[in-house]
Amino acid sequence: MVNFIKPLRARFPGRGNHPADQSKESSLPGASWKEQVLSPDLETNLKQIKAILDKCSDVVYREFVFAQNEQIRLALIYTDGLADKTQVGDQITKALALEVPMAVPGQEISKNRALEFIKQRGLCINEIQQTSKLRDVIQAILSGDSVLLVDGHDIAIVNGTKGWASRAISEPEAEPTVRGARESFVETLRTNTALLRRRINSPNLKIEVFKLGEITNTDVAIAYIEGIVNEKLVAEVKSRLQRIKVDAILESGYIEELIEENPWSPFPTVNHTEKPDRAAAMLLEGRVAILVDGTPFVLTVPNLFVEYLHSPEDYYERFIFTTAVRILRFLSALVSLTLPALYIAVVSFHHELLPTTLLLSIAGQREAVPFPVFVEVLVMELTFETLREAGIRLPRPLGQAVSIVGALVIGEAAVRAGLVAAATVIVVAFTGIASFTFAYSASIAFRLLRFTIMFLSAALGLFGLISGLALIGIHLCSLRSFGVPYLSPVVPMTGIDLKDVVFRAPLWAMFTRPRLIARQNQKRQEQGLKPEPPETRPKG
Amino acid sequence: MKKIAVLLLILLLTGLTGGCWSRRELTEVAIVLGTGVDWMEDGRIRLTVQIARPGAFTAGSEAGARGREPASWVVSAEGRTIQEAERYLAMKVPREIYWGHCIILVLGEEMARKGTGMITNFFQRDRQPRENIWVMVTRGEAKDFLETYSSLEKTSAQAAGFLERMKTGYSVQLWKLAEMLASKGIQPAVTAVEVKEAGITPEPDREKKSPPQKQVGLAGVAVFKEDKLIGWLDPYETRGLLWLKGEAMKGVIIVPSPGEPDKAVSIRIRRGSTKILPEYDGEYLRFMVRIRVEGDMVEQQSREDLAKPEKIKTLESEMADELKKRATAALEKAQNEYGVDIFGFGDAFHRKYKKEWRDLKDRWDEEFSRAEVNIAVEAQIREIGLLTKRAGVPEE
Repeated sequence: MVNFIKPLRARFPGRGNHPADQSKESSLPGASWKEQVLSPDLETNLKQIKAILDKCSDVVYREFVFAQNEQIRLALIYTDGLADKTQVGDQITKALALEVPMAVPGQEISKNRALEFIKQRGLCINEIQQTSKLRDVIQAILSGDSVLLVDGHDIAIVNGTKGWASRAISEPEAEPTVRGARESFVETLRTNTALLRRRINSPNLKIEVFKLGEITNTDVAIAYIEGIVNEKLVAEVKSRLQRIKVDAILESGYIEELIEENPWSPFPTVNHTEKPDRAAAMLLEGRVAILVDGTPFVLTVPNLFVEYLHSPEDYYERFIFTTAVRILRFLSALVSLTLPALYIAVVSFHHELLPTTLLLSIAGQREAVPFPVFVEVLVMELTFETLREAGIRLPRPLGQAVSIVGALVIGEAAVRAGLVAAATVIVVAFTGIASFTFAYSASIAFRLLRFTIMFLSAALGLFGLISGLALIGIHLCSLRSFGVPYLSPVVPMTGIDLKDVVFRAPLWAMFTRPRLIARQNQKRQEQGLKPEPPETRPKG
Repeated sequence: MKKIAVLLLILLLTGLTGGCWSRRELTEVAIVLGTGVDWMEDGRIRLTVQIARPGAFTAGSEAGARGREPASWVVSAEGRTIQEAERYLAMKVPREIYWGHCIILVLGEEMARKGTGMITNFFQRDRQPRENIWVMVTRGEAKDFLETYSSLEKTSAQAAGFLERMKTGYSVQLWKLAEMLASKGIQPAVTAVEVKEAGITPEPDREKKSPPQKQVGLAGVAVFKEDKLIGWLDPYETRGLLWLKGEAMKGVIIVPSPGEPDKAVSIRIRRGSTKILPEYDGEYLRFMVRIRVEGDMVEQQSREDLAKPEKIKTLESEMADELKKRATAALEKAQNEYGVDIFGFGDAFHRKYKKEWRDLKDRWDEEFSRAEVNIAVEAQIREIGLLTKRAGVPEE
């Protein structure tokens, strides 16, 4: 299949992803400054920076003199909106221009000592760095830090003053749960790492930051727990991330598509979550999380197929109920994949499979319907998909209207008009509902494959349905996510990990981590944690 | 690369060209619910089918608005064979005749006397009809039977099917009839049915009161020799047959009340089992039949207090006697009047005396008719219901 596509790819070189083909620098003009360093002269530096940041109206230049020695000119550069204005004003400008003489009265500072003095006693900022590279200076300005240039020094002080208006932490919209943390990741990387750190208070939680995207320079962090994670996995994640040479990373989906092993598969092999508690649980099982600045969706790898049928809530509710709900979810997944196809196969090929009364009832409903059952189901499925898409795209206040109209059109009018059988509506509606019981990204794959299987079963009956399922099964068996078989722990069978597939073992019985993921550190907890009544009971 | 492309193309084309092979939309089939076969005087066979009219089976408001429309259509055609008749039928039925949901196969009395084997052959050989069609013989013509109406079920075929499923009579499905036809150790017997007057459906308007309707009902058992009908058992003997065979241990036994013999007590059989033990010394053939039943007392006409161990004991022995009487009635009719083994004594004998069976099997019916059969019944009463005494019984 992939080979079949290759010639196509050669014809559209822009779409291919050959790192070698691409020039190392992006195609932006004026990239020559990147290797340059600062000069000791403030004017030269300012001129250069202004030239680079030409027409960037949001960059603020503030030139002032040092209170301790008016000979020393300073310049502060930051981006308006990205840097915290009060911080910049109070702790840099005010401190250096007014307050230093109060703290250190009567001290004359020579030009040579100025930089050191400012760093030591002048600035009230905690997070400062210094650099002499022009590239770092520009980077710092554009990422919300403020840069202080001191006349006579070819070194700039980078003040950590990041602080922009960001969305508050809210409830997870895509993964709602009844029980469990209500926090969701937000668009700010720092907040997200903080959310993770809050849950895992351990020095072993490592968070490494990279910059990806030639133009966007997006911060991308990988998080893992040292000692649990497989070191090779971390190395592999890093190498796959470093391979990425694209101009922009606007969402974690960009990364997902560039690091997955099976780009042609309808099934996602990189999981994502917007719940910090889920991400923490993934890390604790030995996975690696990839956090991207600008999106609340955090990627986790390796990804197993069963993850999509699990919910974070599964571990918060008691295990008996969880197991029952999981059985329901697995059945729903099967239903959402096969029910319309099964209906088509039975109604147009295998009449003998239905009980007589049911067959007659369906036959009665279909009596007035002008189309073959396949067309009927296909039309209804497409209608349903249209409604679903409209429901997502429409401005929220209108969503209600769509669902009402949709329900009326599908449910009532179509049946009344004799265009569709009531049984078909039931099948399509139930299929739709069943597809909402598990993770959205897997349900997308199922939605696509549902249509394929419908075609197969319309042409070949149950034989087609079963062939389709067999093909999907074979395909799933061949998938891997970062080296871990997609269907594990079921295929290949890992006995001990079946504790958490359909059946969710009680927490006190889950004393190992997934074997194929956390290979090197299997032990999660001590055995024998099962709570029991005290041995000596009070007599009474 | 090209090879793969070609392969993909071929795969796609095979899917499309072979597509929808043998597809059969529900609106293109005529679903047969019941089949009847009659023997015509000119030696031809008349095939009658009851076809469902699907429109009548929707529960929706549409059907309600149109009132209760007839749920079935009965149509017949003649031919030398079933298949020929079916082809003639196809000239009148605008849809493909579909046998997969046929519930009953009714043989007219004349047809059954001529032989069932030639009828059942088609239903076993063809792929569509199921093995679990209920087979029955009607007194009279199968066509008349299928043309009846059912007040409770949608169609008379379904009504007859449900009657059979209740195991009130000796219910036989096609596969079992085939088994009985093939075995020498048992002669076939199937349910006998007839068209009966069965109640009325009252209307609010008394003037419009509908006339009593002819509906389907059970009428005992049809007894065969080889594959030809030779006689009937009435409902009383049918129970005896069922108990002797150990099938469907159900039914009610009426015994006289111990203290007041002119008043009756009803005992409903709850469960039971039957064992047939053959004994053969090369000459003399004897069968021990051990029937064990448990029943509940459900009705009492007398005023005496039956909730006493000794009375229960008496009831139990009366129950055993009554059961034996009815089993003997069936047995005697089979042995003396028809001379056929419809109980499967031959199979029981075969299982125990394999070598001797070889000599006896070809004249088994004669041997069976001469055989001595001892019936021993062990009856137990488990419950006496929610009452201990009949209301108004004076203290003794």
